[in-house]
Amino acid sequence: MSEPTDPILEFQAVNTYYGDLHVLKNVCYTIGRGEIVSLLGGNASGKSTTMKTIMGVVRPASGRVLFDGAEIQDMPTSERVRRGIAPVLEARRLFPRMTVYENLEMGAYTRPKGAGFAQDLERVYTLFPRVQERRGQIAGTLSGGEQQMVAIGRALMARPRLICMDEPSMGLSPLYVEQVFDIIRHINAQGTTIFMVEQNASMALSIAHRAYVLQTGQVVLSGTAKDLRENPAIREAYLGELQVPGAA
Amino acid sequence: MKILPALRRRFAAIPAARRRQLGLLLLTVAVLAFPFVHDNDADIDSMANAAAYAMLALGLNIVVGFAGLLDLGYAAFFAIGAYFYGVFTSFQVMPLWSEGWAPLAALGLVEKMSQGGPELVHFTLSFWLALPVAALVAAGFGVLFGAPTLRLRGDYLAIVTLGFGEIVPIVARNVDSVTNGAAGLNGVQAPKLFGWSFGIDAMPYYYVSIGLVALLIFVSIRLRDSRIGRAWMAIREDEVAASTMGVHLVRLKLLAFATGAAFAGLTGVFYVAKLQTATPEMFGFPVSTMVLVMVVLGGMGSVWGVVLGAAVLQLLQSWFLPDLTAWTHAFGELVGNAWLQRVDFVESVELIFGIILVVMMLFRRDGLIPATRKTPALSFAAQNVAGVQRGGFVGLERIGRWRNGSGNALEVRGVTVRFGGLIALNKVFLTVPAGGVVAVIGPNGSGKSTLFNAITGLVPAQEGSIHFEGAEILGLKPHAILARGVARTFQNIRLFPNLTVLENVLIGQHARLTTGPVGAVLRLPRTRAEEAAATRRAHDIIALFGNRLAPRAGQTVSGLSYANRRRVEVARALATRPRILLLDEPTAGMNPAETLELAEQIKSLNGLGLTILLIEHKLDVVTRLADTVVVLDHGEKITEGKPDEVRRNEEVLRAYLGRAVREAIHV
Amino acid sequence: MTTFDLFLQQAINGLSLGAMYALLALGFTLVYGILELINFSHFNVFMVGSFIALWTLQQFGLFGQETILVGLPLAGVLLVTFTVTMLATGVIGVGIERFLLRPLRDVKGPAAMITTIGVSYILFNIILLTVGADSKNFPNPLPPLQIAIGGAVLRLREVLIWIIATLLMLALTFFVQRTKLGRAMRATAQDPEAARMMGVEVDRVIMTAFFLGSALAGASGLIFGLYYNFTSFLIGFNAGLRGFTAAVLGGIGNVPGAMLGGLIIGLVEAFGGQLIGSAWADVIIFAILVLVLVFRPAGLLGRLAPNRS
Repeated sequence: MSEPTDPILEFQAVNTYYGDLHVLKNVCYTIGRGEIVSLLGGNASGKSTTMKTIMGVVRPASGRVLFDGAEIQDMPTSERVRRGIAPVLEARRLFPRMTVYENLEMGAYTRPKGAGFAQDLERVYTLFPRVQERRGQIAGTLSGGEQQMVAIGRALMARPRLICMDEPSMGLSPLYVEQVFDIIRHINAQGTTIFMVEQNASMALSIAHRAYVLQTGQVVLSGTAKDLRENPAIREAYLGELQVPGAA
Repeated sequence: MKILPALRRRFAAIPAARRRQLGLLLLTVAVLAFPFVHDNDADIDSMANAAAYAMLALGLNIVVGFAGLLDLGYAAFFAIGAYFYGVFTSFQVMPLWSEGWAPLAALGLVEKMSQGGPELVHFTLSFWLALPVAALVAAGFGVLFGAPTLRLRGDYLAIVTLGFGEIVPIVARNVDSVTNGAAGLNGVQAPKLFGWSFGIDAMPYYYVSIGLVALLIFVSIRLRDSRIGRAWMAIREDEVAASTMGVHLVRLKLLAFATGAAFAGLTGVFYVAKLQTATPEMFGFPVSTMVLVMVVLGGMGSVWGVVLGAAVLQLLQSWFLPDLTAWTHAFGELVGNAWLQRVDFVESVELIFGIILVVMMLFRRDGLIPATRKTPALSFAAQNVAGVQRGGFVGLERIGRWRNGSGNALEVRGVTVRFGGLIALNKVFLTVPAGGVVAVIGPNGSGKSTLFNAITGLVPAQEGSIHFEGAEILGLKPHAILARGVARTFQNIRLFPNLTVLENVLIGQHARLTTGPVGAVLRLPRTRAEEAAATRRAHDIIALFGNRLAPRAGQTVSGLSYANRRRVEVARALATRPRILLLDEPTAGMNPAETLELAEQIKSLNGLGLTILLIEHKLDVVTRLADTVVVLDHGEKITEGKPDEVRRNEEVLRAYLGRAVREAIHV
Repeated sequence: MTTFDLFLQQAINGLSLGAMYALLALGFTLVYGILELINFSHFNVFMVGSFIALWTLQQFGLFGQETILVGLPLAGVLLVTFTVTMLATGVIGVGIERFLLRPLRDVKGPAAMITTIGVSYILFNIILLTVGADSKNFPNPLPPLQIAIGGAVLRLREVLIWIIATLLMLALTFFVQRTKLGRAMRATAQDPEAARMMGVEVDRVIMTAFFLGSALAGASGLIFGLYYNFTSFLIGFNAGLRGFTAAVLGGIGNVPGAMLGGLIIGLVEAFGGQLIGSAWADVIIFAILVLVLVFRPAGLLGRLAPNRS
């Protein structure tokens, strides 16, 4: 497998624990600048812990996390956001009693308001006209799909170089899933690297360049999306954990 | 100089149980001999006070330590016991005499009196009778105060009890006719034994207090090590999990509150009989706090710990601080420092209490004698005693077979669950035939766990009905649903983390055992037999998983691996003697070999006749186990059928796999 | 006095008490809204605040009720006293959070709450041991202006208390609604983890909540002194229980709720004390607390606590 030559994010032998539970076991990832990389695996395999380790919500017990060549594993979350990592959280996690606009403001929290705020807002509104329509509405009253758009818009407001997405398709109807994945592609084409946890393996592999497969906290497979799609073992075990009928 | 190590080795060679007995014996002798060795009335009196506070600490320990309910107004029950005895043995309340009182007079509970005026009734309740009666009265008030408030969240309970604790002294201060207000009750009678009054000599009180402390320690330990104590600890660890394991939350919380109150009521009688007066100030917030400090210092949930905590604090006040003050004064005189000559440490005892609370919370939350000790991890050798049994269960014949009628075990009919505006389940129908295996699949967020929560009574459904073995279970409380035979596991594992594997599995049997609080304390042969059978069964169930769990039965769950926690959860659910088992992603976090092993085990349970409803993502597991697969998406059932049919259903593919696969299919 | 006069007089008293309780309730609500922690140390931060105010006034040579100030000197003294008191209690609150509560942030169970009880006890006894048990005369430099409304009397001090409390509450509302840190505070209260991932320094937000809450408690303690003309080491318990009840009544975690709850509790105390007797005021307040918790735990305006996943 071809490792990217210009990594933006690297995990080097990361071990993370919750109490006595060993959740990530010697995990290594390399995410190249400009890539979409998917992280696959079942529930409780360590996917969300990976996201939390990147964002600094949990700290690894050992190993290094590099962003842009700098060690970030001991940095506070706010510093990581400032350096250009933004999350799209599992189940959206908007601030439910704030307006859409205030949620977007929160996305830009680490940046001084003058610095291109209006420009970024414009970009989000262009990407999601729906979000502009709803900007005064309380976020908790939006539909699931609208919330996901706001969540992605909120991440963009940080003007990130890397977006970490935790199950962007969760709970969305197929129509919205397609829209969301189109947007992800579009954002990536504009130069933002995407690291995405997805349970929906086929979907994730269809837009990713490369992917890692996580099982009980260990990386058991990695490769280009194309290779993984065609790997019969992967088809059997991870492609949405459903087989494509008649082997497509 | 070689004697000491030799002695230590000799001591270490004695078995632990024997060592404990020996220690207890030495302690008993020391306590009984104390007044003879140290014949100082004031010191004996201090010890009796310490014992009274130890009794209070033991009571609060049941509420705070065992059941995890933070009670900041515990002294209210102390006051109730105290005033009960005080009022019925003093000259405060004296109704007019009538012949109706004669039977009570014959029993020695009242006397006819006249002080020149009309004939009056003087209550002369015996101390020995007052002890149990006041305990019951205080327990009654415990139920009265607890019933409306024990449903509240834990932190709200703290503030409500704080208020109760404040109100009782206010009432005592303002209901002059009964309590003589702020001046306090006077002339409370000293206890009598065969006509001999205890008077004001400290010695008899000391022995009574020692006897009462011993009694309450005994009761505490018996309760702790019983079905009741286990249920309390389950509530403390995880209320939701406790209720789905059959623990009646309100009833057991009330029982803890009432038991704690009874201890305090008893202590109130003793304390007032000893002081022969009762004033509202004796029962204010500072007293509640002091008892809490004792429990925190000794160790929440630790019976011997709280006794030690009470003794340390009481003796600190009556012995150490006065001495320290005297020494400091002398030192101040020596160095000519005026402040040192004035300082009084006894006055600052409450400051010390505050500091103890803060320091203990920051540095030693488990107290001086922690209730639970961390079990050491298994040695490498112990982990390798036997080959791991793959596939299937070991010793399945010991847990018996299930007898099922024909027809449907579970029928979910048109169930709708809404959270605010969000529809989590929309008119879902689902049928599980008796003895069958039904799997529910669907993407994350499609409502699978909500369905389980609705079936087990954790979330209310706005529409529909759920029948289990022909009877409606929708609207029942989780413990009642468990009692019908519906047991479950949780996707995010909800074990009782600080309890051992064995204790977790024993709690699973809660609803199938009958021991009540009285039975737990008396521990008659029937209770012993029940407990022995329960333990045997728990070991049988644990042994099903071979040496995955059996060698770890005594370990706390928090030290187990993910896969083993899943196994303990299945074991705990099996212990409830379920008629249907609801498994929520039982193999999540397991590797393929472990997954296969658990799938085989579930299959063998089904082979014995157990009905199973399963949430699962891994399709090979679903195919292997399920007769029928139900697919949920966005809270709606989109299809249902045999595993093979469902796998070919296009709608399923769309929901699950999205566009990529559809393109692959259509291209 | 006619019944109506009496009614009016109690309304005036109740609004003043209410202003005091509302300020106190805000501290409970700010901290609870973010940490879901009942901060018992707040009871006695309030009490300590009244002593800091007393000390500050004494530095101006004000001791009893004899010295009267007017005009700029009065405004200056009040401004300095409020500022010093609020800064000092704010710093105490921040210290409690930083050194005693932050190490327990991730500890489950009642450890943090028990710690606040301990802290409350420590503050209480420090004042008892240093200042003494007798209550202290609290200086009141306000000129004895008053107007009669029928038989009821409205004094300058009540008007002043209302104005100051209103200004403080407006300032807090502005802060929470309109500033970046205020927005971060609301975000943290709604979803601490998500807020953190947006780059919010949650530690700083929590510290701010403690600072503001404690500063308002200090202001409340000063108002207590101005209103009652005395202070004592004992005042924290009753006022604290009322402040907390006010927060719960309004809907804990809810800033406007705390203000509304405070006013209601103040009025209830004034009228209840009049009708039933002040000895039972505690019982009435407490009955309200229990009834609200049992029948409407979300309070009047809705409980706003973090969504924890």
